[in-house]
Amino acid sequence: MYAAEELIDKIVNSSQIPSGKRRQEVQRELRSHIEDFMLAAREAGRDDDEIERLVLANFGDPEQIARGFAWVYRHERKMLRIFVFVLSTVVLASSLSATILAMQAGVAFGVGIPILNVLASRHTVIEALDILSSVAVYMAFTSLERLFDRQRFQKATCLLALILTPWCAAAGVHRAFLIFGFVNGVFFRAIQVFITRRMARIGIVVACFGLAGFVSAQLRSPVLHYAVAINCASWLVMGAGYELVTDLAARVEAALFNGLQRI
Amino acid sequence: MEIDSQFLKGSISLLLLNLLSRAEMYGYEILQEASRRSANAFEFKEGTLYPALHQLEKRGEIKSAWRTAENGRERKYYSLTAKGKKTAREYEKQWQHLTGAIASVLESK
Repeated sequence: MYAAEELIDKIVNSSQIPSGKRRQEVQRELRSHIEDFMLAAREAGRDDDEIERLVLANFGDPEQIARGFAWVYRHERKMLRIFVFVLSTVVLASSLSATILAMQAGVAFGVGIPILNVLASRHTVIEALDILSSVAVYMAFTSLERLFDRQRFQKATCLLALILTPWCAAAGVHRAFLIFGFVNGVFFRAIQVFITRRMARIGIVVACFGLAGFVSAQLRSPVLHYAVAINCASWLVMGAGYELVTDLAARVEAALFNGLQRI
Repeated sequence: MEIDSQFLKGSISLLLLNLLSRAEMYGYEILQEASRRSANAFEFKEGTLYPALHQLEKRGEIKSAWRTAENGRERKYYSLTAKGKKTAREYEKQWQHLTGAIASVLESK
């Protein structure tokens, strides 16, 4: 019966049950119930049209039933969200680290600096930690914003600052990575939320990261012209990478969430 | 007399655990049994039964198994676990205490 199948699909599709196997089982169970109902109704001498009408009337509001299932499986959904957050962060941070380091190695190679200077272990570790903390903060933003209906960015910023404060206190000398990640994450989320034109966003990233590269080069001594140019290029590559992450983050997260939900 | 759905919501766990303490049943059968035992007083929307059953199963109070009936139809049967039996007894005591207390208030002048 088409209407009954449609009703079951409507319930299961809106139920937010985070497991394909479980959704299939719910579908099977509801179908079995409706078949029992139809069998009893036929035995009672009712015709098909009447049975269809009775199924829809007796089964209840599909949205309400779906909300009931959503509430029952809320903890599983939260766990899946946390898992997707960690997985997306790791996937995006490692892809970004690899891309940025490869691009920086390319820049170094172009200007004749030994590639190993760029990929030297300390530099690589610092860069990777900066990227990991920035991507984690950005992904945390997108997750926390879902908790609010209005002024999402502002509220998520406050909540994230509250969450990170004890972590910063506990991180000791390594707190610089968390602070960098927080500032970077807030910066990229802010321009994404408040600046709708892509070219304007890119312009801001180029200006800010170019300036940061220039300033950080000035802090080193001796200040060499080619070192300033390389440092600016390196920061611009980083900025481009983060901008790319903001574009990809939602898609990667949705793909992972939908993919894992099917399992 | 029709029972208010909000009023019924709070007692659905007690109702389901009590029914399943008598025998293992599948969803449609539970509804039929509830309706029969209450002289058609419990006629809630059928679909709302399943989230309640899944919630009880998640709490470990009931368990389920798919089985094929004699007529070849597949059904998911629910039965009480040891924890469910204990909860059913506990809920029953609480219910009797509560209804007794409410009756005393309603009857007092």
